[in-house]
Amino acid sequence: MDPTNTRISAELERKMDEAIRRYPPDRKRSAAMPLLYLWQEKFGFISDEGVRWIAAKLELQPINILELVTFYPMFRQAPAGKKHIRVCRTLSCAMAGSYRVMENACTAAGIVRHRDENGMRNPISVSADGKCSIEFVECLASCGTAPVCMVEDELIENVQPSAAAALLNPDPSIQNPQLSSPHPLEHRLIFKNIGRSDWTTDIDCYLRDGGYEQLKAAIKMSRAEIVNEVKTSGLRGRGGAGFPCGVKWSFIKADEKKPVYLICNADESEPGTFKDRYIIHEDPHQLLEGILISCFALNVKTAYIYIRGEFPEGAKILEHAIEEARAHNFLGQNMLGTGFDVEVYIHRGAGAYICGEETGLIESLEGKRAYPRIKPPYFPAVLGLYMCPTIVNNVETLCHVKHIIAMGGGPYARLGRPNNTGTRIVCVSGDVQRPGYFEIEVGAVTMGQLIYDMAGGPRSGRTVKAVIPGGSSAKVLRADERFKLKMKQPDGSIAEQEVSLFEIPMDFDSLAAAGSMAGSGGVIVLDDSRDMVWTLNNINEFYAHESCGQCTPCREGSLWMKKITDRMLLGGGVVQDPETLKTVADNIAGRTICAFGEACAWPTQSFVEKFKDEFASRSQKPVPPAMPPEYTPGELIDHERIATTALPRNPGWEETATAGTI
Amino acid sequence: MGDQVLAPPQLLNVQINGVWHQFPKGTRVIEACEQAGSYVPRYCYHKKLSSPGNCRMCLIEMGMPKMGPDRKPEVGADGMPLINWMPRPQISCAQDVSEGMGVRTDSPLAQECRKGVMEFLLINHPLDCPICDQAGECRLQEFSVEYGNAASRFLENKVKKPKNIELGPRVTLDDERCILCSRCIRFCQEVAHDDVLGFVDRGSHSVLTAHPGKRLENNYSLNTVDICPVGALTSSDFRFQMRVWFLKETKSFCTSCATGCNTIIGTREDVIYRQTPRENDAVNSSWMCDYGRLNFGYLQSDTRLLQPEILAGDKLIPAEWNVAITHAVAQLKHFSAWEIAIIASGRMTNEELWLTSQLAKILGVDLIDIVPRTGPGDDILLSADRNPNTNGARLLGVTSVPGAKLREIKDDVVGGRVKALIALGENPIEIGLTVEQLKALPAFVVMNILSNDATEAATALLPSFGFAEKRGSMINGKGRLQRLNRAVRGPGQARDDWEILRDLIQAYSGRNGIYSIEDVFRQMSEAVPALAGLSLSKIGDLGVQVMESAK
Repeated sequence: MDPTNTRISAELERKMDEAIRRYPPDRKRSAAMPLLYLWQEKFGFISDEGVRWIAAKLELQPINILELVTFYPMFRQAPAGKKHIRVCRTLSCAMAGSYRVMENACTAAGIVRHRDENGMRNPISVSADGKCSIEFVECLASCGTAPVCMVEDELIENVQPSAAAALLNPDPSIQNPQLSSPHPLEHRLIFKNIGRSDWTTDIDCYLRDGGYEQLKAAIKMSRAEIVNEVKTSGLRGRGGAGFPCGVKWSFIKADEKKPVYLICNADESEPGTFKDRYIIHEDPHQLLEGILISCFALNVKTAYIYIRGEFPEGAKILEHAIEEARAHNFLGQNMLGTGFDVEVYIHRGAGAYICGEETGLIESLEGKRAYPRIKPPYFPAVLGLYMCPTIVNNVETLCHVKHIIAMGGGPYARLGRPNNTGTRIVCVSGDVQRPGYFEIEVGAVTMGQLIYDMAGGPRSGRTVKAVIPGGSSAKVLRADERFKLKMKQPDGSIAEQEVSLFEIPMDFDSLAAAGSMAGSGGVIVLDDSRDMVWTLNNINEFYAHESCGQCTPCREGSLWMKKITDRMLLGGGVVQDPETLKTVADNIAGRTICAFGEACAWPTQSFVEKFKDEFASRSQKPVPPAMPPEYTPGELIDHERIATTALPRNPGWEETATAGTI
Repeated sequence: MGDQVLAPPQLLNVQINGVWHQFPKGTRVIEACEQAGSYVPRYCYHKKLSSPGNCRMCLIEMGMPKMGPDRKPEVGADGMPLINWMPRPQISCAQDVSEGMGVRTDSPLAQECRKGVMEFLLINHPLDCPICDQAGECRLQEFSVEYGNAASRFLENKVKKPKNIELGPRVTLDDERCILCSRCIRFCQEVAHDDVLGFVDRGSHSVLTAHPGKRLENNYSLNTVDICPVGALTSSDFRFQMRVWFLKETKSFCTSCATGCNTIIGTREDVIYRQTPRENDAVNSSWMCDYGRLNFGYLQSDTRLLQPEILAGDKLIPAEWNVAITHAVAQLKHFSAWEIAIIASGRMTNEELWLTSQLAKILGVDLIDIVPRTGPGDDILLSADRNPNTNGARLLGVTSVPGAKLREIKDDVVGGRVKALIALGENPIEIGLTVEQLKALPAFVVMNILSNDATEAATALLPSFGFAEKRGSMINGKGRLQRLNRAVRGPGQARDDWEILRDLIQAYSGRNGIYSIEDVFRQMSEAVPALAGLSLSKIGDLGVQVMESAK
């Protein structure tokens, strides 16, 4: 091991060794992120020494660690202030004023925010006295209580821009908002216990409520029976793609020789989605029970919960829940006397949206940059974690497994609509009076009921202009659009019917038929005060920031689209911009390694298509002459020695504009 | 090459652009298309490396056989399967062909995909091709011509990245030109076993780099330059020395060790500018080591011997070739066979070694050997035997155990028993003789390319050619006969080695009917069974296996 100037305490090294033991002995690399967290917690940031030390510890090359430190935004290479504030800048929070929160907090703390040098990374700005530092981050998954910030590890909700100064000294007496009790239109299964005054996260409370009975029931069933119940239930994945869970499970061969892994995807990051946060924070044993039933069904001896880095509290709660469950022998060696050994480990992400993509998640869990894998050949069910068969399921999906065992697959399937069974949690944020989460029978509630009855409708004097129905990657729907959907008629027959946005049932198939998707269940409402170019620009910034950069179309296209909408907002829009935006998006969607391509293209495609007038009105300047050469003649002569300092944020275009070339 | 008989490979029917072809099972779709004459452009794919599928340039339309209700493929009027085309384009670099697969490489969708990818790759790429060292052999340029747009729609500022970074002693990086294809990273991991390169940062700001504390300095680092499809990685030795389109390319092989990696020598007007590896799966795959690649500068050294010289009195004076040859032979004729020794070289070609053995024969010399030359080898390409033609020297009887007789030669020179020493391409000081001992020799005939302390002591000095200046053959460490081709003319009055040896023999014993190097080879192949039926031209570009693979 390299000599190091920093003294690594025995305690720290013990924690690191413990983290390493959570992964197979020949897969030490997986411990890279846990070790980086431990280092950062101890020393405040990841120094180059830290990079080398961790690399040596894991028998890796320093570059392997440097690749991670620079990929995951939650790792920093320079010290932050004593108190570090993260301000969410993604859509719902931005709409609720998070940019002003940032501005006011900086003023209060005396922080001069340095320019975001390359327009992508959100560098940390530290106050002169070093007491405080601040950065913009992407979605913190609490869109219902926007705008939100994190002060150190604590989430501060509903931060009023005028009260941003309070972030510097959060008042512990201010309680976070009350958890909502169910709306009459809700059908709560997963969220049954949330908001109950007598509910706590400890296992005794869960057991009093009949907890782990389904696990006990499941271990009396055969594996095939459990898989069959899940198949019969018609459960579709709640993460975004809506893939049938039972079908996914049946990809695992009954006589599989390699170890099978289960990964719970708790990397909730799709803007507008904040359901998993409450499951994890309020009812962790429900999730754990779902995971353990699934492990038993799939003969999984090791499961990982990949939880997003922005949920530090959630990770602690789950760690505690695992220890409690272990004490009751719900996991560990010889689980409940079945002879079946199962372990569940927490693995924390570190701020990369792409880890929600299952193969990106797997790469991340292997201790690499979260570059999604090509499929074929790397289908997780065949060549997943450590090239072993792997099932990746969303938090909510795994919770449903418990209820499927409780109800039976058949009765569960009678909830909701055919092919859209069960309940699901939809999250409403943006321009509504009562944003929040609502668990509904799939399809039993229309968009109108959801927005007006449940979420209270738009603020007074405002009307709904548009809705993004399934997380920010879903195609936007206009309030005045008409959709042709196959709808059940009063006489029971199915006929095509023209409906308004508000008549669309909230289910997978109807939203797909309307040209968008149910996605992750994150409904973002935009009222008539919203500038659609601004809105798209905010979304574009998110995707440009979160593109992993592995494959060409998404890497280059996502930033290009953001730069175009940046320019349009700054008054530099040219007549070709809408067409350019559309074709750039067209050239991304369907041509990338993973679905991020669609995720970043669909907003642009739909916004430009559906709000033509707004985009046209910002794109009135004549098309400029060909781009001036990017290097001056002097630089050309001094070839290859061009300074690498970044350009100011928007220099060239605005200068060109004033020079009259537009 | 193995001795087991392989079963004939299973052939699969694949439709490419409407025409059915057959390919062995395991053929990559992208390779199948190329074999069928429909080259699919690619950046990240390299057939010797893993497929990350990241550049998206090789997107094509793909289809699988349409299945009927009986789950059997439906057959069309031509008796071939009907194809169910996938709506989304697929990359062709990561999948093998399968029975009944359909591929369209030139459909409107495929063309549109390439155009889109080309545009994306160029928006942040500097468009300063005139000053880029890769110009002329840049895939971005080439595919721009074929698949790109003339005009740019990009009105924004390009992403700025580090430039002119020395990644290591031999490789320079321009991150703005990098298209993040990861070939170099994969090469370092998978071939060089030195995981030194990686990407840092994210999205469009991703940057190729090495950790500041670890340089790209492994002995294979320059292969990353070869496989870099753009001007991101350049050879610090070659960059900005010559525009590549002026280079004359000569197929040859590297003579720096017994591996004999196949090469292309890039020259202009008799100056060598670079050596790059040439694919030969029986020898070097697609790679070569940096040590061998850069080992040509000595051919342009100031110490090249340019003029035959003979000892007159106590001074070497320039002489005409016929004078020098006559002088050398006249000296040798003074001595009996047991008074002469020959130090030959494992760097000589077979033709030269054959003539050397003939010379030894007519002189009756028994004291003949080559100088072994070893260094640390690796498990990749570099052989511990740094002589390129030890096997040739063995086969042609110049040595049986290389170096075994050197001790005796040295002792006999020191003891005065050997009075005439012939040093061919070797410096006797390296076997432990001193300049004084060499100077004491009544006859010391030296054929070499560079001057050194020993050449000063010569009684006849015969300047010869280096590996890139001559034709000839060698047998590598694995018994493969390979051919050198002349890339540049030799300097000054220096002559091709085989001609010098031929002239020595003729001057000693009269005409021997050898007028060309082909004649040498013919004579040699008639005498040596392993070479029977071969000729220089029959060796071809990829060589011929003539000996059992050693080891």
